[in-house]
Amino acid sequence: MKTITLTLCASVLMALSVPVQAAGDPKAGQLKTSMCAGCHGIPGWRTAYPSVYSVPKLGGQHADYIVAALKAYKNGERNHPSMVGIAGSLSDQDMEDLAAYYASSYSGPAN
Amino acid sequence: MKTIPFLFVAASLALAQPAHASKGNAEAGKAKSTACAACHGEDGVSKIPSFPKLAGQHRDYLYHALKDYQSGKRKNPIMSEQVKNLSDADLADLAAWFSSQKGLSVKY
Repeated sequence: MKTITLTLCASVLMALSVPVQAAGDPKAGQLKTSMCAGCHGIPGWRTAYPSVYSVPKLGGQHADYIVAALKAYKNGERNHPSMVGIAGSLSDQDMEDLAAYYASSYSGPAN
Repeated sequence: MKTIPFLFVAASLALAQPAHASKGNAEAGKAKSTACAACHGEDGVSKIPSFPKLAGQHRDYLYHALKDYQSGKRKNPIMSEQVKNLSDADLADLAAWFSSQKGLSVKY
């Protein structure tokens, strides 16, 4: 009887330990921006020929929207070549952290 | 009453070089943005996280995105429906309006 209870408890605990998507952390996100800042962090930066337009501002954008956009680039729904490559290299957690960084007012370790 | 400014914009566009997007007119864009405000907020700052904030976004990026929704290069059932019947001048004006609002920023 004790064995069954113990097994049951262990099973429940193991079932609950499925990794849950942690909410994005702006501090972690700031450390991951090396691929982003070069285009999205430079005022006046534009995309490459033949379709030249301003790289969109991310500061203050909704985190959910940024994550959705990154996922769309990763799964091919959106097809800008640079973004497809970059998003393809990001994990779900990376996306959450980056999105949280851009959405927040946190701007780096000095602050 | 609205026809006169529209004709003025249309005539200016007709005479202008079509090589790049016209700068658009923010006031005209504001008048055309009622449908947009429903999702994106009256001040361009949407309250719904899955609908992006538009306020202060780069004018030419907004124009480019709207054109892509029209052509189908960017697929979104809601947006393609919204821009279906808009003219180039409308898109330029809307882009000018939302880019003139305060909101988004360049963040390093």
